[in-house]
Amino acid sequence: MAETKEILSLAVETGDALLRNGAEVYRVEDTVMHILEAYEIEEYDVYVLSNGIFASANENKEDACSMIRHIPLGSTHLGRIAALNQLSREICSHECSLMEAWERLDECCAIPTTKKNSARFFCGMGCACFGYLFGGTLFDAVTAFFTGLLLQILLQRMSTGRVSKFIINILGSAFVTFLSLLLYSLKLPILYDKVIIGSIMPLVPGIALTTSIRDFFNGDYLSGAIHMIDAILTAFCIAVGVGTVMTVYYFLMGGSLF
Amino acid sequence: MVIQFMVSLMATLSFAVLFNAPKPELFFCGLTGAIGWIVYLICLNFNDSITIANLTATLALTVISRMIASLRKNPVTLYLISGIFPLVPGAGIYYTSYYFIMNEMGEFSKYGMQTVKVAGAIVLGIIFGFALPQGWFNALGKRRREF
Repeated sequence: MAETKEILSLAVETGDALLRNGAEVYRVEDTVMHILEAYEIEEYDVYVLSNGIFASANENKEDACSMIRHIPLGSTHLGRIAALNQLSREICSHECSLMEAWERLDECCAIPTTKKNSARFFCGMGCACFGYLFGGTLFDAVTAFFTGLLLQILLQRMSTGRVSKFIINILGSAFVTFLSLLLYSLKLPILYDKVIIGSIMPLVPGIALTTSIRDFFNGDYLSGAIHMIDAILTAFCIAVGVGTVMTVYYFLMGGSLF
Repeated sequence: MVIQFMVSLMATLSFAVLFNAPKPELFFCGLTGAIGWIVYLICLNFNDSITIANLTATLALTVISRMIASLRKNPVTLYLISGIFPLVPGAGIYYTSYYFIMNEMGEFSKYGMQTVKVAGAIVLGIIFGFALPQGWFNALGKRRREF
């Protein structure tokens, strides 16, 4: 029975990895419970928040065990979530021993993130496409491609240091606004608003909003509120970034261009 | 319309890469986003209301995501997160702050309210989409357990 601790830490580590890579609370809770059940632990309690896991097992027995994890809100890695989901399904159908499960868990967490250069390319690509979708011309799309590419480089630079998320969002949106206004004032034939809208798309809090709604839907109000506040603040920061540069430009140009 | 479909597919796909979606699923991530966008455009054709268009599009997106998730045996999150991006009110945020800076309060409140409404419509769309019983989708994938 000395295994309780081992099993619980496997379950909690899996939950930790899921939450860290941006899964919603319901999925994490469900996964931890299913793993515990699969290894025949009958008494357990699991409480998951969007930045923490609390779990205990076999409280009334001799090998009682409980664990707490603190998990900061991080970046999203859908590939790892999918892999971990597959792992938990295999554990539940008893295809996987405890030792194997640990190895598989390590493998899942080691799935690499997108390479820097291709992330830059695809960020530009996404921005270009959104610029076009929201009513820009082909030339706007090309411009948005380059501003998006530069934005991603800026984001990558800032993510290595310990820069606050607010600052990243404000600077990021200010940066693309500055770039597109600069190009506009160089008399390039662009619709600068379409370029800006396309290029701020990587910053827009789509994930936080979606996760928040799903948390609310499953009754996890606290976690839903955390993500919702995250989404609102991010949107606010984007507005501040865009607004500041716009104001400065407006003053410099004496309003003639608006 | 075909161009819009291709471009929105490309856009969603690119963002899916940024969120490290697994390679075999990239196309499906793009597909959900493109379908959501096309539904949105079609609704706008029949009705001027952006809110209703967003609601319908998000609902369609959620249902499609759940169907693909069942078929491909992957978490719904994978497709939903990527697909939601064309509908998220990025333009709304921009215009709201723009008119605020320009001191045009009428336009500002118009776009501000619209952004809030669109966000609300997305919320409702996803909630309605998830309210459908899981059994309908399980039949597609014939799987034991699904989220």
